[in-house]
Amino acid sequence: MTIDKVTLQIIGNHLRAAAENMAYTLYRTAHSTFVKETEDFTTQITDASGMCVAVPMDLGATWYPGINYGRAMAMIPDYEPDDIAFTNDPYSGFLATHVPDLHMWKPVFHEGELVCFVCGHIHNTDMGGAVPASLSRALTEVHQEGVRFPPLKMYRRGELNEELLRVMLLNVRKPDQNRGDLKAFVGALNTGERKVRAMIAKFGVDKLREGMGLLLDYAEHQAREVLLGIPDGEYFFSDYADEDAVGGNPCRLALTLRIEGDGAVLDFTGSDPQLTSALNVPTGGDPHHTLLLVGVYYVLYTLNPQIVLNAGLTRPFTCITPEGTVLNPQSPAAVGMRSLTCGRLRSLIFGAFGLAAPERMPAAPAGSSSIVNVMTTDNRTHRTILAAVNPIVGGAGGMPHRDGTNGSGADAAYLKNTPIEITEAEVPIQILRYGLLPDSGGAGRWRGGLATALDFRVSAPHTRITARNRDRSRFRPWGILGGRAGRPSDFILNPGTARERVLGNTDTVTLEPGDVIHIHSPGGGGRGSPLDREPARVALDVERGYVSAAIAEADYGVIIRDGAVDLTATESLRASMRTGETATHFSFGPEREAHELIWTRETYDALTVLLAALPIHWRFFVKTKLFELMPRAGVPANPPSLREVFAEVRAAYPEVPEFDW
Amino acid sequence: MTWRIGVDIGGTFIDFFALDEATQRFHTLKVLTTPADPGQEVMDGIGLLQSRHGMDPATVTDFVHGTTVGINTVIQRKGAELALLATAGFEDVIELARLRMPEMHSLFCARPDPLIPRDRIFGIGGRILADGSEQTKLAAEDVRRAIATARARGAVGIVISFINAYRNPAHEDAAAAIIRAEAPDLFVFTSSETWPVIREYERTTTVILNGYVHPRVAGYLTSLEAALQRRGVMARPMVTKSNGGIMHTGLGKTACVNMLLSGTASGVMGAAFLARQAGLANVLTLDIGGTSADVALVIDGQPQFGMGEVVGEFPLFIPSVSVTSIGDGGGSIATVDGFGVLKVGPESAGSTPGPACYGRGGTRATITDAMAVCGFLGHTPLAYSSVTMDRARAEAAVGALAGAMGLGLRETAEAIIKVSISNMFVEVNKLIGRYGVDPGDFCLMPFGGAGPMLGCLLARELGMERVTIPRRPGVVSALGGLIAEVKNDFVRTVFLELAPDAAPALGRIGAALRTDAEAWLREEQRFDGPATTRFLADMRYAGQSFEIEVPIDAEWIAAGDIAAIAGAFHRQHVAIYDFADETAEVQIVNLRLVIAGVTTPPVFPVLPLADAPALPIKQVDVWYDGASRPMPIYLREALLRGHCLAGPAIIVQEDTTICIPEGFAGEVDSFGNLHLAWQEQLA
Repeated sequence: MTIDKVTLQIIGNHLRAAAENMAYTLYRTAHSTFVKETEDFTTQITDASGMCVAVPMDLGATWYPGINYGRAMAMIPDYEPDDIAFTNDPYSGFLATHVPDLHMWKPVFHEGELVCFVCGHIHNTDMGGAVPASLSRALTEVHQEGVRFPPLKMYRRGELNEELLRVMLLNVRKPDQNRGDLKAFVGALNTGERKVRAMIAKFGVDKLREGMGLLLDYAEHQAREVLLGIPDGEYFFSDYADEDAVGGNPCRLALTLRIEGDGAVLDFTGSDPQLTSALNVPTGGDPHHTLLLVGVYYVLYTLNPQIVLNAGLTRPFTCITPEGTVLNPQSPAAVGMRSLTCGRLRSLIFGAFGLAAPERMPAAPAGSSSIVNVMTTDNRTHRTILAAVNPIVGGAGGMPHRDGTNGSGADAAYLKNTPIEITEAEVPIQILRYGLLPDSGGAGRWRGGLATALDFRVSAPHTRITARNRDRSRFRPWGILGGRAGRPSDFILNPGTARERVLGNTDTVTLEPGDVIHIHSPGGGGRGSPLDREPARVALDVERGYVSAAIAEADYGVIIRDGAVDLTATESLRASMRTGETATHFSFGPEREAHELIWTRETYDALTVLLAALPIHWRFFVKTKLFELMPRAGVPANPPSLREVFAEVRAAYPEVPEFDW
Repeated sequence: MTWRIGVDIGGTFIDFFALDEATQRFHTLKVLTTPADPGQEVMDGIGLLQSRHGMDPATVTDFVHGTTVGINTVIQRKGAELALLATAGFEDVIELARLRMPEMHSLFCARPDPLIPRDRIFGIGGRILADGSEQTKLAAEDVRRAIATARARGAVGIVISFINAYRNPAHEDAAAAIIRAEAPDLFVFTSSETWPVIREYERTTTVILNGYVHPRVAGYLTSLEAALQRRGVMARPMVTKSNGGIMHTGLGKTACVNMLLSGTASGVMGAAFLARQAGLANVLTLDIGGTSADVALVIDGQPQFGMGEVVGEFPLFIPSVSVTSIGDGGGSIATVDGFGVLKVGPESAGSTPGPACYGRGGTRATITDAMAVCGFLGHTPLAYSSVTMDRARAEAAVGALAGAMGLGLRETAEAIIKVSISNMFVEVNKLIGRYGVDPGDFCLMPFGGAGPMLGCLLARELGMERVTIPRRPGVVSALGGLIAEVKNDFVRTVFLELAPDAAPALGRIGAALRTDAEAWLREEQRFDGPATTRFLADMRYAGQSFEIEVPIDAEWIAAGDIAAIAGAFHRQHVAIYDFADETAEVQIVNLRLVIAGVTTPPVFPVLPLADAPALPIKQVDVWYDGASRPMPIYLREALLRGHCLAGPAIIVQEDTTICIPEGFAGEVDSFGNLHLAWQEQLA
């Protein structure tokens, strides 16, 4: 090594500064509120092979520090100075993972030699396709999700390919926004290139190149250090998305985490087959795909907040995702709503690491953030108004040292809300409530973070409400080490009235004037036995309205009389409750427990083996039929075996291929 | 025979900048703070001005004071136990805040604990709608119940913030009236009187900060007023404000929120004044103290203003001088991790125990220790002789890291400096990125105790070719108070589409703002000098989620010239964001008025012209850029107009040490500022 650790740290700072600068430039000059408000964009510097070496820490989304542009970059054979390449096709190099995400990259040359790339992505409000904003769970093929571009040069030697741009703008619903954001994006890439050039002048091209390599090594070293601190072993965990399609069956994600020394294998075998809905996560089977590892970045950063965020973090991890499954779908499976599945993917990883390092990991975060939008008419002006009301985000899981953060936190902490007063001034709706939902955090020694609730009344006919990413209204955020699961989310029309309608995971509903809509997120899971929570802390929760007196008694065994803890009564109640406690790592709540009485781990494992043996186009169909024939709830006296049910399916549909049991 | 005195209280020292108008000489002082008896140090300083410089307290015409008592109350969380009355259904407004939180890559990320716990937040029935109409009456019984419970839970004051109160404060006023009538022992503030602007979280957190610091700030200012009177200072004391202006201490006791950032703001005001005096238009100010560095942009001689500046852990939404605080100061601690990588900060030795070389119990290596080991520091006493430098302790502290890094002592020290400089580089770069400016167009003005020590090194890293070091870097904030205007901001949220039919409303609101502003300046502040007023509008395109500030000509408002207002907005949008859409709907969210009573700036004496080259007092060996090299040491007080210096060199003065690396050379101007420039041919 010719550069020392000090220079390495300084080069690291300069690279991060370049990435931050790109992010600020993009944020400052972008047109769409999507970039401005939800900050759904990223910027990176990658090495010449496309591995990310630096990301910003202040702005943008948290998903892509480990991104590898390599496969997509390699689909363009010849780079020249001032080229800018782009793609938004989820299946070309598995870089863009749904169609609205436009990734762009620009090579930086020095004396004719490629040094590195400056890169990034923005989520475009709309890329065309079947529905506005291009995203819907109901879509079944990627072709319905908008206009796609494989890796192509948008600029060749600094010259814009106008024809390409015209094709794009013709196909999208808000061409001005796409054009404006694209311009801002190009500005950001040019800023990044300028900063890299300054670094070449300062450090020399060889040192910069070597520094990039060492920064990847450094992050890898830090990740390996974290793994060394976790006991070797094989840890299995599974988690479910409530529905695999609109009104569908549960979708299981399974993970066998094998930690060996300073490396780990994440084997996702046993996850559901690819879905005939837009919930698939396109990874192309890349063993280091960044979407598979987002949960891992969170774990690493949580266990070592000094960690450097770059693609070196992905090196100690090898992911296995069998082809034709929800985590490695074959084209043309739809992928638009992969963010919902990614939420489960993260909780899956948190759960497996929680088994491996129980003393240092939190319980499940709420894990579902519904973005609530309203389309209504102003009764005064008769104008149609489309507005984002708020993301409805739940709390963090109980931590080893404190309660879960209320109303946001963990893997949802990057989301922002909109002030009630701004919404009421712009949109003809009245917000009745926006706040924390009492009793929604999983009970525990450290309570799960509370859910957020939003209620509002509309005043115009045909008011459309959408709430993207609805999940966890059935399967709860789990508690650990004796802590209880958090309360599930819900979506209810006219709650507490004769016209009440429980909408669950429904993500779109049409309202009449005067209708009130209620939505709440899930709450975070609890950590540790609630019977070990100090009575004074429980009493404070009651005083603060986080926990009701009834739940204080029922879940925590704390009896409060006239505002004070009755210690004697509490002691004896807790003693009687302790005898009923069971010692499992996870507490999933009644819904998953009931589901798993029928769909036991063994049965579900057998299901995924069976489905994996079928040709891809049969898998989702057969799964759906098997679920139809299996009992739905309760404990049947003689549950049929999977084999028997499969036989019934084949009887009804003789075309289904036979399976060798 | 009059004196004007500017005073700024920092964490370790209190700085005095006193101008004797008869002789046009100014005197500076640093006195150690007396945390146990705040205000005492002010008296100590006045005593010193009397004894050393023959000042007669009765001749003081201006006494302007910047204080950290407010911000320290927030940082140390020693403020009042408050209750909050919120609209029923929105009791969690401060806990939810704007959702997004820092450290968003960590599963353990959390917001700071709110200043008011949830058990002292009370939902109150009654609803004002977005158009200002009353939908449901205020539930007076809810207010009464809240008063009783708040008192039982230890509240000494109540803040009120209801939804849509920016549009109609009637419910806030009515609730306040009930509290004043039925619980006169509890103090009350409402969000609409503090800063009546749209966005409930921002307005609520601002009024909470006001109430939280109120008892301490009021108590402090009252005892200060009394002590000054006892001393015979008859001038009505003034305090510096977050907006860079000043106001009388009497108002400071209730409008506390306006003085939370008084020290940092007046530092930038002072630096901007010095920049204008020296003929510099664009300056990046760098104020480095023991625990942090404050960076700000001065563009065309003017500080930048914004909202959402951070006080402790909370954003403050009143117009304030924009300052970015970086967690790197002279006391930032260096550590080495398992991979052999050196980290500097964010942990700081602060003023207690301070850097190891101060010999006050610190043992861990700080930036100051690294500077001492390299040989930049320790040749003369520091900070007006209040600190003596123990180089052996610095060497021990830095030496403890040298082993882990596999480097020699001086190489390790240099590494600490370089890493901390590159940390500052990252943060300053973000500021530059946010404003979209080119650092090459700016001159760096370092000040504060540690600014001149690190300024040139940071400039070199940022590619800034010009550095100007003021004559008295340690007292720039104190000077800032002295030159500040008597200034206040007024706001109304209008939230109108910018169309011809908005003209009457804008005219009406403009006139109301002017009436309020004139009353504030002439009646409340009893200011009778010349004044300026300036209209600003917070505007955006419909659908945007943030506004930009647009200067508005008063004529446009009076004449209802909507087209001119729209034109100004589009131009400003281009200036900031590089694009405009003249066909899109424009909204005017807030109309603001800034009134400023102009104070006479002090006249500074001009230095005599040098008639011989500057002579160093001695030569020392300093390690930097990988080699030991001889460096001359100059005394700042011996430098005269026209003196030229070239790096490498060190300049020592009572309040700071200036390090000039090789490649920089410069000249002293008539006010004693040292203008350094990067000399390409020397590098």
